[in-house]
Formats: sequence, structure tokens, C-alpha cells
Amino acid sequence: MEKFKVTFYPDNKTIEVEKGKTILSAAISAGVYINSSCGGEGVCGRCKVILKKGTVLSQPTGRLSLEERRHNIYLACLATIQSDLEVEIPEESRLIFEKLSPEELGLRLKGLYAEVEEVESSMSILENVFIHSPLATKLYLELPPPDLNDKISDLERLYREIRKRHQIPIMQTGLANIRRLGEVLRSSNWKVTVTLGKRNGTVEVVLIEPGNTSKRNYGFAFDIGTTTIYGQLIDLNTKRILSTKVTYNKQAVFGPDVITRIIYAQEEDGLEKLHHAVVDVMNEMIQECIREHSIDLNDVSCVLCAGNTTMIHLLLKIDPSYIRREPYVPTANFVPTIRAAEAGIKINPRGLLSCIPGVSSYVGGDTVAGVLSCGIEREKDLSLLIDIGTNGEVVLGNRDFLISCAASAGPAFEGSGVSCGMRASSGAIQKVKVNPLNYEVKFSTIGDTKPKGICGSGYIDIIAEMLKAKIIDKAGKIILKDHFRIRDSDYGKEFVIAFGNSTLSGQDIIINESDIENIKRAKAAIFAGVSILIRHMGFDFEDIKKIFIAGGFGNYLDIENAKLIGLLPDLENTRYIFVGNSSLAGARQVLLSYEAMKKAGELASKITYFELSVEPSYMEEYMAALFFPHTDSLRFPNIKI
Amino acid sequence: MSLSSLEIYKLLPKTNCRQCGFPTCLAFAMQLAKKAVSIDKCPFLSEEAKKTLEESSLPPIRLITIGKEDAKLEIGNETVLFRHEEKFYHPTGIGVILEDDLPDSEIIKIIKKIKGLEFERIGQKLKLDLIAIRNRSSSLDGFLKVIDLVVKETSSFSLVFMSQKIDFLKKALELYSGLKPLIYKATKDNYLELTQLAKSYGIVLVVSAENLDELSLLTKELNKMGFFEIVLEPQADSVSSLLWNLTQIRRLALKRRERSLGYPTLVVLEDTDKDLEILFASTYLIKYAGILLINTSEPEDILGILTLRQNIYTDPQKPLQIEPKLYPVGTANQNSPVLVTTNFSLTYYTVLGEVEASKIPSYILSVDTEGMSVLTAWAAEKFTASSIVTAMEKANLKEKVSHRSLIIPGYVALMSGELEERSGWQVIVGPKEASGIPSFLKNL
Amino acid sequence: MIKEYLENWTGLVNTVKIGATPQEGGTRRKTITVGGEKTLAFLFKEGHLPNKPVIAYEIWDIKPIDWPEELTNYYSDVWSDPLDWAEKVANVYKADLLCVRLMGIHPEINRDIDYELNFIKNLLKRVNLPLIIVGCGDDEKDNTVLPLCSQITKNERCLIGEVTQDNYKILTAAVLADGHNIIAQSPIDINIAKQLNILISDMGLSFDRIVINPTVGALGYGLEYTYSIMERLRLAALNQDKVISSPFICFVGQESWRAKEAKARQDEFYSWGKESRRGPLWEMITAVSLVLAGADILVMRHPKAIEKIKEYIELMFKNNF
Repeated sequence: MEKFKVTFYPDNKTIEVEKGKTILSAAISAGVYINSSCGGEGVCGRCKVILKKGTVLSQPTGRLSLEERRHNIYLACLATIQSDLEVEIPEESRLIFEKLSPEELGLRLKGLYAEVEEVESSMSILENVFIHSPLATKLYLELPPPDLNDKISDLERLYREIRKRHQIPIMQTGLANIRRLGEVLRSSNWKVTVTLGKRNGTVEVVLIEPGNTSKRNYGFAFDIGTTTIYGQLIDLNTKRILSTKVTYNKQAVFGPDVITRIIYAQEEDGLEKLHHAVVDVMNEMIQECIREHSIDLNDVSCVLCAGNTTMIHLLLKIDPSYIRREPYVPTANFVPTIRAAEAGIKINPRGLLSCIPGVSSYVGGDTVAGVLSCGIEREKDLSLLIDIGTNGEVVLGNRDFLISCAASAGPAFEGSGVSCGMRASSGAIQKVKVNPLNYEVKFSTIGDTKPKGICGSGYIDIIAEMLKAKIIDKAGKIILKDHFRIRDSDYGKEFVIAFGNSTLSGQDIIINESDIENIKRAKAAIFAGVSILIRHMGFDFEDIKKIFIAGGFGNYLDIENAKLIGLLPDLENTRYIFVGNSSLAGARQVLLSYEAMKKAGELASKITYFELSVEPSYMEEYMAALFFPHTDSLRFPNIKI
Repeated sequence: MSLSSLEIYKLLPKTNCRQCGFPTCLAFAMQLAKKAVSIDKCPFLSEEAKKTLEESSLPPIRLITIGKEDAKLEIGNETVLFRHEEKFYHPTGIGVILEDDLPDSEIIKIIKKIKGLEFERIGQKLKLDLIAIRNRSSSLDGFLKVIDLVVKETSSFSLVFMSQKIDFLKKALELYSGLKPLIYKATKDNYLELTQLAKSYGIVLVVSAENLDELSLLTKELNKMGFFEIVLEPQADSVSSLLWNLTQIRRLALKRRERSLGYPTLVVLEDTDKDLEILFASTYLIKYAGILLINTSEPEDILGILTLRQNIYTDPQKPLQIEPKLYPVGTANQNSPVLVTTNFSLTYYTVLGEVEASKIPSYILSVDTEGMSVLTAWAAEKFTASSIVTAMEKANLKEKVSHRSLIIPGYVALMSGELEERSGWQVIVGPKEASGIPSFLKNL
Repeated sequence: MIKEYLENWTGLVNTVKIGATPQEGGTRRKTITVGGEKTLAFLFKEGHLPNKPVIAYEIWDIKPIDWPEELTNYYSDVWSDPLDWAEKVANVYKADLLCVRLMGIHPEINRDIDYELNFIKNLLKRVNLPLIIVGCGDDEKDNTVLPLCSQITKNERCLIGEVTQDNYKILTAAVLADGHNIIAQSPIDINIAKQLNILISDMGLSFDRIVINPTVGALGYGLEYTYSIMERLRLAALNQDKVISSPFICFVGQESWRAKEAKARQDEFYSWGKESRRGPLWEMITAVSLVLAGADILVMRHPKAIEKIKEYIELMFKNNF
């Protein structure tokens, strides 16, 4: 097979690839990231590249204007390599791998969840709902050396010493540890630190180290989302959060939602690639965190993951295909605690990895973690948890019952699949006001930088403001005419939020009718899921006393506006409680408390999954919600636009 | 009222033991509420809970069966007031009244006519269900003779015996009770004897009264005699009162669980103006009659009323579909682009609207996805490379156009590789949203 | 004693008035009021039904295409001049209401716009019944011609249509300015029906000037979809959903006479019976079904069918009005 050299700018990375491969696949191999939210199928039109030199063949596509084609712009996923190439990746096509400082994250979570705010920004100790008993504990032991009167074996001696401190009837130790035991005990002068890991109901002596390392015991909590991954480094002794990182899930290159990824996993090496994509992200996060805090990798003894069922399957490289097929059964909801190394996660080689159990194929451990951290199962009053993410999980219940569903919302609220969308991070427009008289736009961005794009809360504000200013009608069509902010585009009319001269990239930041449609769909899916659950259980919206809102929003979400566009039920603001990333909070609780771990297991068996796709009225509810705020105005009696 | 999922859940052990096969007690309760599973599946149910659940699962309107085997008519067991709430389950039985004082030749003519009234519409055979022999002659011989004629001519209809004379009905039943006819009618004056009669033969009795109070009292009396095989005939002094009474019976049975009115209903149409008779029959058919007895056997009348019945008793939860085939838009020719979509009518018409708006003559290939929209059908594996190829072959697409390329919805871009392989055609990924079609077609 | 089950409806259907008499600034002989229902069709014991459903005769501005023989028998003598047609239904058939379809403006026929406007002007002079004016269905042409019709019939309080979700602004603005009512058409879709009403009222046209065309399927051709959509909308109105409390207009004739069962001759389908009765019956059964679902205005074609439906309505209302 003929091979060609492809060089990517501005990265200046070159790779040799076979003729006929797409530019996108060459970029992936070269480690150069190009946006592609449709998974390289020529649909999203986000992977535009400029061909500087060389020849490509490309399928026809409506995603490029004549003008763009004239300027040698191609979609990287459709253009196949026919010669040596030089390719430039414009700013808007670059997938930027961000590392947020803990300060920034702390700031972002501010206001979302009182307890977190305190904890995250001041780095103090977590709430004490559950007894402190982390997944892995370290114990410093000074063993009495054996003598003629005390001749029990080294291992029994070790167990005896451990049992003096803790009531642990059954303990396990791996052969590797036993082989080293005699030598370690003696060379350390009988002073060792053992790491005890909780593994599936028993306790394992995970590690035996000479001397006292018990002060250095760290773990990671991860929230593995379809679109976004959060990771947190935690001092397991003090419960302190040392660092939090967030980035897009690199699997997005293979498809925007779980279904496309499950399908991709069926392809040759598909599962392998998906698995590596997520493991790479996690390892990079771990590396970054321990470097910042000068922590030895060997002192990281465990990892706790919350993720939806598909994400956990992919992390553990379990074939996810049965999730998608009727009757939608996953391979496992409860995955036993394993060695992190088995999944390719690089911490202490004998360190543990545990996943929060899931409910069903479409309601996973991330939701269980969310329920855990909000404490719905302790509530007397009827409560609702809405996780505004790609899968849009909804949980309804109280201490008597819990029922959940997944309303596939798509990634719009996470800033994906919309033309100027971005995650809630530095530069994202998050708060917007539009003057209804002259249509002047005022906004604020995260970090108060120049605007780079629009995040979920920004979109909610923009649409609400456009409705109030009558720039769009309630169907989401732009009705304002003859104004310099209104233009025609390939995706219907568009409204300019910020002109290029004031933005970070120099490009205009806009919202078009297709974006509005996307957000409308996302909010309709979530609202329909919420109303079906409520109605199915025989309740009214009015009966819900507490609504926990979770999701990767910035440090700002305007509840009024979220109600105005029909995303959230029309109930008093006092009933709403922000919990930010409740999955990450839950993962952290489970990492730090075996009691929480057991609770998570109970919840996973207790939560009833409600399958929306077989519910005939779901489509009906969804269609009715495709309007601002809703087709049925009686559902939003207090909303006046 | 039947119990809600949550009410049932509260009666269950709440241990989530999974012995019933469902992951949680609540999941089991949800299936019980839908009556999709039997309560026996739960081994730990208390006697008390079991009793409550069994009582709540009794149908509010009794299912009544008239006639035997091949001519069996089932009515009743309805669960809703409005068809959109769920569906109407047991189509109104429609029968023609045969007067026993007509000459034999006339009667045979009518029977032959009725037998010939079979229509096929959208894959369903439509026909009448009942023949009612009405004793207008006041003679027993005349009554029995006509029954005999009917029985000899046809066995594909359930029968109704209508006479005011109990003796006549008794005689007729001695001969024909095996056909399980419907007996018309018990009133407050004759119910004791008629009920004994119906009970002894195990057949269904029409109970008739001037108002709902009397009707309710009568059925309670019959129930006391251990008889439940009842069809109600509410009488009324005007067409609107009859509509009101039929509505009341349905509402009281469903919403107030009034057991004494929990039976299907019957209306005998007056022989007046032919057109009005059909219009009133249509009215009662839509508003809750279980059986309609009419005086016409004209094919146009029967075709109309049977078609209406088919419409009203269609399951409203099945999606609106269009015929899956190749649709030319504008002056499509062999060079026109081909857009593939599903046969969910909403999807199709949305695509059609945009293609028309583009003013570019095109073909739309509607694939049979059982009325599902693009994403639903794709997720359910109804809209796949192979179903598209099947549609292409069925439409003989390669003869219709000279090019070899297909435009598929952006949402199913993932199938393009497989589709190219299977069809040998070039696959172009179109926009995700129909609104993108005009600009897409223009830039193609 | 059985206690009757009465629903406690708290809402009611909006009342829409069509036509303006000289006292009201128009030139119509009378006005027609529809809507106002406080319960479902004919359930008089439960709530007031102040207005009977009305029937509008459908006439065209040109000789119709595709009308079957059964209809030709009644109208062919007046098809050379639509004004004669209008007079015939007004004077001979005693129509209460007239529905004029401007098919002539369709791009395929493309009658001169002035000709059409003259027709409307003369129609106002020759016939003094309240008017419904509907376009040809081509958005572009309707948007050009209907606003002009609205202008020249100003103050006559016509019912003009139709607007759809994708094309409602131009005609709504005209109707708003000229004091007419509007027909909001939705494609057998409860959500779009509601949404369109909201969009129209957001432009300033009050709800009591909107009549909904839910789009009709004839008997055997999707009747049940329309039936249930109308029933649901009506239930919503009775439950106080103000945005959807509009009366319904149903184009019964247009749809019924497209059905094969209405048109086909007996020599083609012997077992279907005589077309002279089958055709009108098809239109009648469709009409009755829709009246039961809440129809307020029926636009029909066959004079005998219309007569029968009127009789039916009278009988249903007997002693109750």
C-alpha cells in the first residue's frame, strides 16, 4: 500500500499514513485533535481543515459553502489522502484539551452547592454524612518480632497485629505480597505500613511497605460522562480534595452519544479504541494531579468511578453491544472491585478500582452516585433529581420509592453539537441579557475573558432573552427582521451574540435556528422525561417539594430562564437546589466511606428503571414540549412572555 | 377505579427480592397496574393485599359473549371514555333486524343480501355481526319459521331473538339455544321468568328500562338471582337523551365503578328516514353503544357504518404511517437526487415540505419502518442498510434514476459505509434536520 | 337512586362571530355566531351549548376540477359564473354561510389578481351572507392575494384563511388590521394546533378571532385521527386551556368527495351500492362524526347531505335549545 506523509499545522506534527485514509483518521493517529462531534461521518461539519498542499478526494457535502470550497476547505472526515499533504487546522476545529486549575473549578462550583462551595474553595473537610472509611486505608504497624515463645508465622503475625486495631475476621493477601513478606518485615525491622483494601465484602492486604507511609494515602474519584470527564485527587486520610480536573471525553471523536459509541465498539478495534480513549484521559489526569502535588504514584491506592453503564463497560473493555439491543440488558450493573491495572489505569500497580453500581442499561452508577449525594432516599417529601447532561437522567422519589428514567437529550447543554457551543470553562459565555428595544447584547464569560463560545447556561439565557425581546417566536424561529445582528445562514437565520472584533478567536459568536432547534429538543427530552415519570406515578408537578439540579453548568444558571424556555417545571425557585456535579460528589463519598459504598449498592437495587422508549406517551410528551416554554401553556401558568 | 402503580406498590412486600422476575417491587407494581402480569408471580403477597388487588383488577364493564364459535361476538370490557386515552377494545356489534311478518321470498332475499355484505378495507374484512329476528307477526309459527330460514341460510351471524312473548322466546330457545342467541328483552314486568330462562340456557339477556335508575335496580335484581350475562338497553324519549344515557352508563361504570351499570349497551334504531337512521346509528356507534340493531341492509349504508366502526375502533397508539414507496417531488426525472427517509407520516411530510421548498425536483424514498421516525427506527434497527436496500429494490430505483447516489438523513450517517457496500450506490450524508434540506440540495 | 355523573367543566369554547350587518359597519344580512360550548357535543344536561353547528356551502371562483358527477348534477348549470353559483346556494338552497375557495389564484391556473378581487367585490354585492374566504394552498400566492381580499372586505368580519405554522405572519397581520377572523390550520396535530394559536395571538389577534382547522380525514381516510385530535382539543378547552379554546372549522366536503367510496360509480364497484346515495352518505357520516367531536363549522358540498345534516342537528337540539 502506498503511503504518504501528512503534516498538520500549527502543531507541526507529521505522520505517515496509507493512501485513502481520511485526514481525520491521520490526525487521530498523529495525536492531533480535530473537532468531530458526529464521529467522522460528515454530518456535523465541525472538522473543517484547510488544505495547504497536496491532493485529496472528497465526497460531496452540503456542510461546506461554495466560498469555503473555493478556499480549499475540506471536512477532515470526508477527505481521503491521495498524496503528501500539508494541512492546517483552524482554531475553531481544534479540540482543546483543558486542564482547569482547582481554583477555577472551585469558583465554578460556587453557588451551586453550599457544602461544595465551602469545601472546594477552602479545601477543608467534606460533609460527614457517612463514616470515614475509605476504599483503601493505610495502617502503620510495629510488629513484635517472633521469638521462641511467639512462633506464629509472619502472615499470621501481620493479621494478628491488624486485628488488634480492626475487627476483620477474613483477610486475603495476594501471593506476590506473601512472597515478599518475610523479607519486608525483617528489613524494615518489623515496622511496616499495610494498605487494606475493601474488596467485594472482604478485606485484602493490598500492599505491604517498609516503614511508615500511612500519611501518604491518596485516591481518585472520577465522573466519566459521555461528553465530559471530571477527575478529583483526594487525600484519603484527611478527606481533602487536592485537585479537580475536567476535560471532554476523547471518545467523542467516535460519536456524540452512547448509541453511536456502542455501534462503533462493534467495528474492528472499535472497543479497543474507545477503551483507550477514556483510559488515556484518566491516566493523563492522574499524572497531572500527582505532578502538581508532588505525590508518588505508588501512594495512589485506589480509584472510584461513577459513569453511565456504557461508559463503565467501555472503561472495563466489556462489550457494550447488548445494551442497545432489545431487551436492553447490560453485561453487568454491579462490577466487582478490581485491580486498577487490569483496566489500564496507572496508579499503584496493586491499587484498586471500583465502580458505582448501575441500575440498568441507561441509568448507571453516575445516577446512583447523584442520588446518593443528594440524599433523596432519606427525604420524606417527594423529590426530583434532574441531571442535565447528554443522557438526561431523571430520578423521582423519596424514602418510600425511587424511580428513574433516561431522557436522551444529546450533548447540547454540555456545549456540544451546537455551532458555538463549548463546555462551561474559561471564555464561555454563561450569562446573557438582551435589550428588547435595540437588541443590544450584554454577557459575561467564565473567567471574565474575551468570549470563546457559549456554554449550556449561556444558551438557556440567550434563548430566554431572545423570546422576551421577541427576536424569536415561541417555535424558535427568528422573527426579527432588518437588524445588523440578524443574518441568513445555511442553518436558517442566525443572531450574532458577539462580533469577531471582540472575541477570542476573531470569529463571530452566533446562535442560529438549527442551534435553537437543538436546544429545544434537548430541553423537550428532559422535560418530557420528567413529566412522564411524575404523571406515571400519579403525581402532579405541585407535589414535588425539592428539585435537585445536577449537571456541568458553570457557576451560574438562571432558574427563571430555565423555566421560561420550558426546561424546568414551573415551580417556585425555593424548591430548587443546585448540586452541580452530583455524580462526582457521590463518587467521592463512596471513595471515602465503605458505608456509602454499601448504600450505593442498595440504591442500585432499589431504584426502578422506567423505560421511556416503550412508553407510548413519551413521544407525545416530547412533541408537546417542542415549544417555548411548552405547547400546553397550563403547565407553565406563571410564565408570561 | 383500578389502582395506580404506587398504590399497588404499597401493598407489595417492598423487599425487591426479584422472585417475580422484575428488578424491583415497584417495577412489578407498574406491570400489575398495566395488567400485563399476574399477581401470583409474587410469592410473598399477604392474603389481604391479594384480595384488594384482585378486586381492583375486575373489569369495570363486563365482557359479554354472544353466539357460538365462528359467529361469536364479544362486546364490553371497555376501559376508557375517549379513544385517545387508550383505545376502544371491542367493536360495536352491528345487526340487521328481520321482521317475521315479511314473505319468505323477501326474507331469503334479505338474508342473501346480508351475506353478501362483506367489504375489504386496509387489509381488514368488514362484515355485519348479527341478525335480529323480530316477532312483529304476533305468531309463534311465523317467528320460528323465520329463525329456521335464517339458520338454514347462514351460520356466520350471531342471532338476536326479539319478542314480547316469553312463550315464544321459550319455544325458540328450546330449538336454538345451542346457537347462544341474545334474548330481547327483560323488563321490570317479565324479568323473573326471562332471567330463569336465560340462566338455564346460559345465554345473554337484554335488560331494558325507561331510565337509568330502573335499569340499575333491574340488573341488581338479576344479580341477586345469580345472573350476570346482561346487555343494557337504555330507553329515552329523544335522540339527545339517548346519547346522554349511553354516556352516563359508560361514565358511571368507569369513573364511579357502578357495577349495576357495568355492562355493554344495545340500541335498536327506529325505522324512520333512511339517512337519519344511519346518522343516528353513527352517533351511538361513536358514543358507546355495544350493539346496534338497524333496519337497513342497503350496501351503501352498511359500508358507511362498518367503515366508521373500523375507524373508531382503530388503535390510536399506532403511529400514522404512509405507504412506503418512491415518491417523486416536482418534475422529478432520471437525474433527480434521491432522499431516503422513513414512512412515519410526520417525518415524510416534513421532508416533503422542505424538498418542495427547495424547488429542486427530487425523489423521496420512504422506507418501511413501521411508522417510526428516523432516530427511533434506527435505534430499533428498522431503518438500516438492509431495509433501505429492500426499499430500493421494491421501488425499482435503478430503473427510475440514471445516477447511483443516495442521500440519507444525517442522523444515520453511521450506516453509510454498510449501505454503500450493500447497495453498491454512493451514499451522501444529508443534513440532520429537514430544515437543512433546501440549502443542502442547492449546494449538492 | 343513580346519581348522574356530571363533569365539572370550568372552561368554555370561545365565541366567534362571522359577518357584519350594516349596523356593525358591514353589509351582511345577518351574522353567524359559533362556539361558546360549555360541554361536549349534545350533552345538554351538563352544560350550555348556545350555538348550533353551522354549515357553509363551499363554492369556487372557477369551475371546479375533480368534482364527481353526483355534485355536477347540482351545480353544473352555474359553473360558468361563480357569482351565479353563489346566488344559487344562497337563494335556492338557502345557505346560511358561504365558503369561497380561491382556486383560481393557484400558480397552475394563475387568474389575474384584479379579476379575483372584482369577483369578491361583486360577490359582496350579489350575496349578503356572511363569508368565509380561503386561498388555494400555495403560500406565496395566498400571501399575495388574501391580504388584498382582506382589505376589500374590510369591516365585513369575514373568516379568512388559512394560516399555518410556517406561514402565519402576513395574513394574520392583514386580518388583524381589517377586522376579520382567521382560520388556523394544523396538520392533524394537537401540538401544532396549540402552538399556532399561541403564535397568532402573540401577534395581537385575540383568541376570539381564531377558528381552528384541525385538518380533516374523511370517513375511511383518517377520520379517526381528526376525531381524536378534535376531542382532545375540546377537552382541553373545557378544562380551561384558553389558548386552544377555539371553535373548529372542518372541510368535510373537500375530503369526503375525494374518497373513492364517495366517487366510485356502482358499475365499477357493484357491491358498494348506489353512488347517488353512497356519496352524500359519505359526506354525512363524516360530518356527524366530526360534529360529535366538536365541529362548529362544516364546509360541505352536496345540497342533500347539507339538508340532512341540518335536520340531524335540529333533531339533536330539539327541546334543548
